[in-house]
Amino acid sequence: MNSKMANSTVALRAYRDGLHLIIRPHLSITEVEAAIQQEISRMNRSLAGVSVQIDLKSPTLKKEEIELLSSKLQETYDLTVRGVEVADEPVPPPIAAAPTTHVISQTTDTRPPRDSEPSRIIPHTIRSGQTEEFPQGSLIIYGDVNSGSEVKAGGDIVVLGTLRGSAYAGMNGRLSAVIIAMDFAPLQLQIGNYVNRSSVSQEPRGYPEIARIGAEDVIIVEKFVKF
Amino acid sequence: MGRVIVVTSGKGGVGKTTSTANLGTALALLDKTVAVVDADVGLRNLDIVMGLESRIVYTSMDVIEKQCELSKALVRDRRVDGLMLLAASQKNNKDDIQPEQMKAICDKLRTTHDFVLVDSPAGIERGFSNASAGADEAIVITTPDVSAIRDADRIIGLLQNARIEPINLVINRFSPQLVGNGSMMDQDDVLDILNIELIGVVPEDSGVINSTNRGIPLVYEDGSPGAQAYMRIARRLTGQRIPIHNFEQKGLLNNIVNWFTRKK
Ligand SMILES: Nc1ncnc2c1ncn2[C@@H]1O[C@H](COP(=O)(O)OP(=O)(O)OP(=O)(O)O)[C@@H](O)[C@H]1O
Ligand SMILES: [Mg+2]
Repeated sequence: MNSKMANSTVALRAYRDGLHLIIRPHLSITEVEAAIQQEISRMNRSLAGVSVQIDLKSPTLKKEEIELLSSKLQETYDLTVRGVEVADEPVPPPIAAAPTTHVISQTTDTRPPRDSEPSRIIPHTIRSGQTEEFPQGSLIIYGDVNSGSEVKAGGDIVVLGTLRGSAYAGMNGRLSAVIIAMDFAPLQLQIGNYVNRSSVSQEPRGYPEIARIGAEDVIIVEKFVKF
Repeated sequence: MGRVIVVTSGKGGVGKTTSTANLGTALALLDKTVAVVDADVGLRNLDIVMGLESRIVYTSMDVIEKQCELSKALVRDRRVDGLMLLAASQKNNKDDIQPEQMKAICDKLRTTHDFVLVDSPAGIERGFSNASAGADEAIVITTPDVSAIRDADRIIGLLQNARIEPINLVINRFSPQLVGNGSMMDQDDVLDILNIELIGVVPEDSGVINSTNRGIPLVYEDGSPGAQAYMRIARRLTGQRIPIHNFEQKGLLNNIVNWFTRKK
């Protein structure tokens, strides 16, 4: 079992079917509430009117506690809970009493937040055989990243065109780094030391997508729905 | 001052030499003065495709080694006014020529010709730098398949780095039938990736092989779809504005016709 999951409490994640609130096992309702508050305030934007699916890892909160939590989410944040799902596979309790009021990205990444890092703009398409590398921060490409080319950044990679080549974000180990492209058909993705193993669609879907390290420690690619 | 245009591709065998021969001839048929230069040193064949092989005495190597004057090394094509060929040496290899020497030849040729077309060897190495050294413009040839497009993309990057502009694209060996049944990329797919100006689409034409073997560029017999495509590209090169012929629409029509005939 990896330490990343053991140390974290809740996480808000955008999946193809919408927003999910993932709640780790072995938590008290007060711990969950505190963590939710922290996670939502970290997002820096209102979630009013947004619907969310609660994913619980068992053993988990009691039924009454879940109901209480749902109504609190509605009252405090104007979040609509569209469903609750409990993973049936029980997860053993963490071996050591780990601090529990941390959010995934904070426990795994102690670097300064992404907006304090520099970014570099590449004002053109990157063609086969070309490499753009910016270890100091994020790369923004005003064009395509074609097959046979490579972009590498210490921070995020944002492609305002089609990503067909290889993209390597978080090259200095920043695991919260993301890769965003208007059209997503990459040859290979890497974030930190995670290389995508699951097959990423080679056909652009016609909407922007984002790749990040997901809750299960694999690179997930999903529809990009703002931060 | 004439324009020096390098005809290049990245991947080999996609039709650079065929295109150089046909565009050179087509431009001459449009009353331009043209020099076609074979820069594929060691593997020359522009002279064969143009049917001028037997008349070659000197090559660009002889000019560089000052064995003869440039004007003496040019072979005049007797079938049309204003068309000359500068052949490549077959005895030497690409490293025997420096980019500056190629540039000097191109600069000289442009004082006496409206167009200088340089047939580049495949690849991204020395042969490419030699061929593009004297060029201000480029025509990139690709076939509509993934590997040729990838290599064309690579070449376009190198041409852009060398500040060669404009870079125009020719899609060669295009087959509406294959696009129609989904086994070939269409024009838009190719342009979406390469993102440069399309100057023409040359269809797959069985006449090309025949014309290569006889040493008579296709455009002399202007009936074939390939010849017409090359004539249109040549007109566009001279600044005429003619729309890109859409082979696909015809393909679609064919498909509909096929569909109806199959139904019967
Ligand atoms: N439009 C076409 N239709 C059918 N055959 C073609 C077409 N264009 C080229 N070919 C054939 O493809 C082959 C390669 O053409 P060509 O020699 O012009 O390519 P190239 O790019 O110059 O090759 P190299 O890289 O070896 O110099 C030849 O046999 C030629 O006849
Ligand atoms: Mg050739």
